[in-house]
Amino acid sequence: MKKQGIFKRFIYSKKVAPYVFIAPFLITFALFFAYSIVSMIIMSFQKVSGPNTSFVGLENYKILTNAVFIKSLKNSAFYTVVTCALMIPIPMLMAALLNSKYMKGRAAFRSILFIPALTSVVVSGVVFRLMFGELEGSFMNRLIALFGAGPIVWLRKPVTVWITLFFLCLWRWTGVNMMYYLSGLQQIPEDLYESADIDGASTWQRFRYVTIPLLKPTTVYVLTISIFGGMAMFSESFMLFNGNKSPNNVGTTLVGMLYRMGFEQNNIGIASAIGVIFLAIVLLINVVQLFFNGTFRKER
Amino acid sequence: MNKAKSRTRTTLLMIFFIIVAVITLLPLALLACASLRPGVELMRNGLNFNIDWANANFDEYRLLFSGENAYFTWYKNSLVITVVQVALALFLSACVGYGFAMYDFKGKNFFFMLVLLVMMVPTEVILLPLYRLIVNMKLMNTMWGIILPYIVVPMLVFFFRQYLSGIPKDFLEAARVDGCSEYGIFVKIMLPLMKPSFAAMGIYQGMQSWNNFLWPMIVTNSIDKITLPVGLQSLITPYGNNYDILIAGSCFAIIPILILFICFQRYFIEGMTAGGVKG
Amino acid sequence: MKRKVIAGVLASAMAMSMAAGTGMTAAAEEASTQGTNTFVDGGTEMSFWTFQELHVGFWTSMADVWNEQNPDRPINLTVTTGESHSLHSKLLIACQAGEGTPDMADIEIGYYGSFLKDDYLLPINDAVEPYKDDVVMSRVDMYGDKDGNEYGVDFHLGASVCYYNMDIMNEAGVDPADIVTWDDYVEAGKTVLEKTGKPMCAVETADLFLPQLMMLEKGAQYVDEDGNPNIATEEHAEVIDYIRNMIDLGICEVAPGGGFHTEEWYGHLNGGGVASIAMPLWYMGRFTDYMPDLNQKMAIYPIPVWNEGDTREVLQGGTGTSVIKYTENADLAKDFLAFAKLSKEGCTYEWNELGFDPIRTELWDDPEITENKDNKFLSYFTTNPFDILKANGTDLTAPDISGSYSATYSTLVSTTYSNAFEISTDQDAMELLQGEQDSIIY
Repeated sequence: MKKQGIFKRFIYSKKVAPYVFIAPFLITFALFFAYSIVSMIIMSFQKVSGPNTSFVGLENYKILTNAVFIKSLKNSAFYTVVTCALMIPIPMLMAALLNSKYMKGRAAFRSILFIPALTSVVVSGVVFRLMFGELEGSFMNRLIALFGAGPIVWLRKPVTVWITLFFLCLWRWTGVNMMYYLSGLQQIPEDLYESADIDGASTWQRFRYVTIPLLKPTTVYVLTISIFGGMAMFSESFMLFNGNKSPNNVGTTLVGMLYRMGFEQNNIGIASAIGVIFLAIVLLINVVQLFFNGTFRKER
Repeated sequence: MNKAKSRTRTTLLMIFFIIVAVITLLPLALLACASLRPGVELMRNGLNFNIDWANANFDEYRLLFSGENAYFTWYKNSLVITVVQVALALFLSACVGYGFAMYDFKGKNFFFMLVLLVMMVPTEVILLPLYRLIVNMKLMNTMWGIILPYIVVPMLVFFFRQYLSGIPKDFLEAARVDGCSEYGIFVKIMLPLMKPSFAAMGIYQGMQSWNNFLWPMIVTNSIDKITLPVGLQSLITPYGNNYDILIAGSCFAIIPILILFICFQRYFIEGMTAGGVKG
Repeated sequence: MKRKVIAGVLASAMAMSMAAGTGMTAAAEEASTQGTNTFVDGGTEMSFWTFQELHVGFWTSMADVWNEQNPDRPINLTVTTGESHSLHSKLLIACQAGEGTPDMADIEIGYYGSFLKDDYLLPINDAVEPYKDDVVMSRVDMYGDKDGNEYGVDFHLGASVCYYNMDIMNEAGVDPADIVTWDDYVEAGKTVLEKTGKPMCAVETADLFLPQLMMLEKGAQYVDEDGNPNIATEEHAEVIDYIRNMIDLGICEVAPGGGFHTEEWYGHLNGGGVASIAMPLWYMGRFTDYMPDLNQKMAIYPIPVWNEGDTREVLQGGTGTSVIKYTENADLAKDFLAFAKLSKEGCTYEWNELGFDPIRTELWDDPEITENKDNKFLSYFTTNPFDILKANGTDLTAPDISGSYSATYSTLVSTTYSNAFEISTDQDAMELLQGEQDSIIY
């Protein structure tokens, strides 16, 4: 009885409570991720053939000099930079417009723009593959035919592949990011706009000097998830090309390369090395980014 | 401001958003059109709006509902997994987020780094070790194998932490003075306060679970256990794409998550707003 | 109030789907994505993965035949299919982990090397032994190693032939029977282009059938004796230049969709967009399935050769069925596999249902097979494919898929041919191939 009392007091103490609260995370981390991540790091220094492994030092990291790997790295970086450049200003502007007092039917448009995010990447990949098909009758080719252009082989030329990938990304995620911005906008106090009006600010000036700076927290958040999402991009490319095999590797990303090495060509060691490189890059970018924005700052 | 000017603005805004809405709905409208045509037609003429109304029919849907395929088994699996995972992930992630937001404790920043780390590890990167673990835990080909590793979702933890950090801590002290235990505070005071954020994150997590592809694909290997996206994708075979079921099935797959969203979208904005994403 | 309604709707939607789900279990087994044979009491449970739904029927039917003929060793087989790329990856992960593998699996030729590399497959020499004299062994040996072990058996012989659209050929006034060498083919192509404005043939950028065919005829392989990538060869450069020349002349086009298994290509071919295509005989099934408009218009002739008098026969494509190392029923699996693929029953099924040219030679002379007017493949084409098989005999060249073939294949179909025929068409072939070879990771 007394023992239980001590236990109870221990568990209920203010010192222990936070650990109890974060226990679910600690448990799943210990059960699944700690082993997985450590094992990945170890395998990146090994030659793995089935259950047999042998230490090969930095051999697997020679992938760093491989032309295709470098291309995939560039692809991922390019995709991330462009998607960030697209997926922040466009949703922000649209949220601001949607939030305008002159706007009607807000809820309806909000819902419509969000719908694409609800479709699975399997479905959207198939639709986009067919939409951007190279047949004369495919939707995009009919569309450009209206402007007098001939049919385009969309999914085999670098420029049009990128257009398709960015369009797919914009289509799926604009609505989501716009939601984040809409909620950010609700937090901007109305009197700030009023005082801007008194100062005679134009609509653009209000947007430039009030809205954008005050949306910074939302922007930081959207930027964080966009960087991560961009670097981790793989399934969009996989579904768009019906396999991890884009022509001339135009759509091969870092994760795509990892998947190809590990789960198509049975080079687990090299795949793990790519995984380690990937993690290092993403962690670095995001930690630097979060530090700059004060996520780790001690709360007062 | 005069009335005429404000009316012009309204009109311009409406025109702009109607165009955006049309572009947004276009791919789905194409899909819906395609679902009324035979799959062969699609192969010959491509995906477009040309519907030969004389030949348009609901055969693809009839095929879908005929019971000669496992579509609804997949549908059921996806529904069950989504419901269970959303419920568990919301509650547990809220606990963790609360722990990070409301307490100062040793190793807090370190543990939070771990949360970020997990958030940044795509499944592909740890696929093999994770697979080994699931096999050793005898969870292969089960719902729990799909759900368990992602039962605490870092994204949600991150969000709840932000959300709760907006709530003044004096509030907690007052409750403690009143004799409320640490867990009592969470359950009785905080959970009700977090309701709007649950709606927001419920939609987010529902979306993720319903559409998750890679991990369920790896964990399951019998037809009665696979989920909807995995099932739909299994219809894409290199030599004979089952476009009929694929297209109709894709259309139908959007419905539950759409209902969920339409019902709760009001709370979505509220939830995001109330605590706020503070970066 | 409103929320209650919503909850009600969701709950009933779920209940409905669940009811549908349970009612479905029996039906689900009839579905093409998974199948079982007629259940036999006391049969050994075995699982099988394939990426081709048409194979489900084959395997379950063969299990039935096996159970009939071997009542002492019955099998209860469960065959599961999925999308090809994901299924191969899943199988590879299961092999890497050593857990969760099926007893047997179909492995596509492009992926085969990945599985062979770390001995995930069991040698089946002893099971194949009894059939040795009745089948074309080069098709079996190719799924093997340098020590003479065999690991897999294919569904078909996969002999390459040339399919001609006779509407176009007649319009151009060219008789395919007169085409012997590739130079003849090019000349004929010029006539076709001139008279009809259509290209003679197409080349893939996302697959390798035409260049591989030409390479094999020259006796060249993509990997060397030790299994290392060997694509920067004289022969390969010649082949690329030859195809590039055809493209420049306008008689060869890059296949719409980039490959011969894409929707775009099926539509193009079906619409009479191209005069001919060189593919293995198993491609007949694609015609009967996706090219309804070409019924009775296609003729099959031997492929052109480099020099008159060369053997007009190579083997291409394929799927090796193998026994996975982690099975608990190795002997039974091996025997069943050899029986299904190499017995008369198996080969007959493969020909009748799937249109696969039999690996078993006795079928080539069986009039019940070769003259069967009801066979949908024989009645679709205006010439008889068995004439070509008989003319060419059994001494056939098969691709070397050992060692680095998987990695090499992946590079060839993602970058090499795309560069060679579509993107860097002006780059010197040898230089291009050297660069490609250097990028292969093995």
